Amino acid sequence: MAETAAFDFREDERAPVLALRGDWTVDTISGLERGLAEVSEKLKAGAVVDVSGLGRFDVAGAYLIDRTFRESAAGDKGRIAIRGEHANAMRLLQAVRKSYAGPASPPRRLQGLKGVADATGRAMVSIADEIVETVGFFGETLVTIGKQIANPHRIRPVSIVSVMEKAGFNALPIVMLLSFFIGMVVAYLGARILADFGATVFVVELVAISMLREFGVVIAAVILAGRTNSSFTAEIGAMKMRQEIDAMRVIGIKPMDALVVPRVIAMLLMTPILTFAAMMAGMFGGLLVCWGALDISPAMFFGRFQEVVPAQHFWVGFVKAPAFALVLAVISCKQGLSVGGDVGSLGARVTTSVVQGIFMVILMDAIFALWFLEMDW
Amino acid sequence: MSEEIAIRVRGLATRFGPQTVHEGLDLDVRRGEILGVVGPSGTGKSVLLREVTGLDEPTAGEITFPCFEEKGVEPRLGVMFQDGALFSNLTVIENVEAPLREHTHLSPELRSEIAGLKLSMAGLGPDSHHKKPSQISGGMRKRAAVARAIALDPELLFLDEPTAGLDPISAEKFDRMTEELARSLGLTVFLVTHDLDTLHAICDRVAVLYQGKVAAIGTIPEITADAEGWVKEYFSGPRGRAAQAGVAGG
Repeated sequence: MAETAAFDFREDERAPVLALRGDWTVDTISGLERGLAEVSEKLKAGAVVDVSGLGRFDVAGAYLIDRTFRESAAGDKGRIAIRGEHANAMRLLQAVRKSYAGPASPPRRLQGLKGVADATGRAMVSIADEIVETVGFFGETLVTIGKQIANPHRIRPVSIVSVMEKAGFNALPIVMLLSFFIGMVVAYLGARILADFGATVFVVELVAISMLREFGVVIAAVILAGRTNSSFTAEIGAMKMRQEIDAMRVIGIKPMDALVVPRVIAMLLMTPILTFAAMMAGMFGGLLVCWGALDISPAMFFGRFQEVVPAQHFWVGFVKAPAFALVLAVISCKQGLSVGGDVGSLGARVTTSVVQGIFMVILMDAIFALWFLEMDW
Repeated sequence: MSEEIAIRVRGLATRFGPQTVHEGLDLDVRRGEILGVVGPSGTGKSVLLREVTGLDEPTAGEITFPCFEEKGVEPRLGVMFQDGALFSNLTVIENVEAPLREHTHLSPELRSEIAGLKLSMAGLGPDSHHKKPSQISGGMRKRAAVARAIALDPELLFLDEPTAGLDPISAEKFDRMTEELARSLGLTVFLVTHDLDTLHAICDRVAVLYQGKVAAIGTIPEITADAEGWVKEYFSGPRGRAAQAGVAGG
């Protein structure tokens, strides 16, 4: 189909001639650059292009000829002389010559050590900015919630309920299932190790205390960080990209009122419920293992549970739920509103939202654990 | 312009559920012409463009490229979408290089030089090469999108509302750039537009889509000579007259 591009260079008695053969198109010219570079050294003023043997010709082919002449002694002044007939050679060569805008400028990038220093500096500044912005946003959210509570007609119950369903209620099955499995694993592990001491009955405490104090709430929060943070950030970010947020502002709706606060309130309401469900499912998993593998009947399980596990363990775990909810919702909304104009920033913000969310959950959990243990709760 | 047919559409029908967009639509686009496609909103101009470019499958009918198929080659298509549809994570010049990188084996230097040349043909200078699409104006995005559409030297160029959202001066410059490109590169241009100035200034022929069919096709004088209904209203409304006067006067 496409003929390969080729050329002959000969010195006529009058002028050097570059005779083109075959198709000179963007698909065929890739092998010609080196040969033409050699020719360009021999070209001198008055050189002629012979197009009589030329097949198909396009802008890329014309550019290559043009560049060869431009870099040669034939110079880039005036137009290229043509010998022979061709449908569009003259026209394309002229168009290319006319559109050539000078040598391209390379992108400005710092190289080597300077580049590393530059990137590090930028990263540090952006981390600092990020912290300041997030804390500021957190404060603004709290103030707005306070104002809404003072003026209850500004609360948007429809949005709140809709978010509660999507982000909270629909997450119940996955939260409970995962928590159930973790409960089983903890019980099995405990049974194996405690059996060496003949103390298998302590599995009940192990499951109950770990589920109530730590696992229930952390599992719920980590799943929310992955599931809900990503969706909040992507939703708000896409609205930002499509200028919907700007449209809201112009109409006089504050994104803080309409988007952020309903999400925060919905999360504040739903996370404790999810946490409670996670605790119960985890304990149920432990109960099944006790029953099946350790011969501890459900009645014994509950009896021992009531006897040795005080309610404070439940409250220690449960009280963390609203704190996690608040932080997760604020991070995800803040990242959503920080999305820029391009797709890359949307992806980056969703990632940041989930990573920051999980990071904050675990960091806060560690701080809570220290505090509660020091307080002997 | 020759009498060869670059795009031939026969018996095209498009239905989305109960809604009929095209019904028995026939259209010939001649090689080397600039064909303007107009019609009221919702008559499926953009759908037609998507079907001709192979993005959507019509419900019935056939779309062929006779003058290319005779020679046994598949025509290369370049498409400029309404808002540019530039890849937002690449710079402007990388956007133009993308098709070259994918389909040719050019050296990186030659590739970027050709991309730069295409950008300059579309009217963008070197200072915008390394900017991201979000950092340039809407008009520049459209120009960059045209440069990307012609990166591989297509035979057929499709433009979807090229001047929508541009100020009149930019729109006129854009029209002139389109015409110059089409003439100097020998392109066949399929141009969906609402801009009467564009129709008058650069289109060789105009096809009017109305109620699922091509209601009229020809040069503007030919169409307006025996126009009736929507076509008449379109060309002889105040905007239509102003555009015509603009061409006659300028």
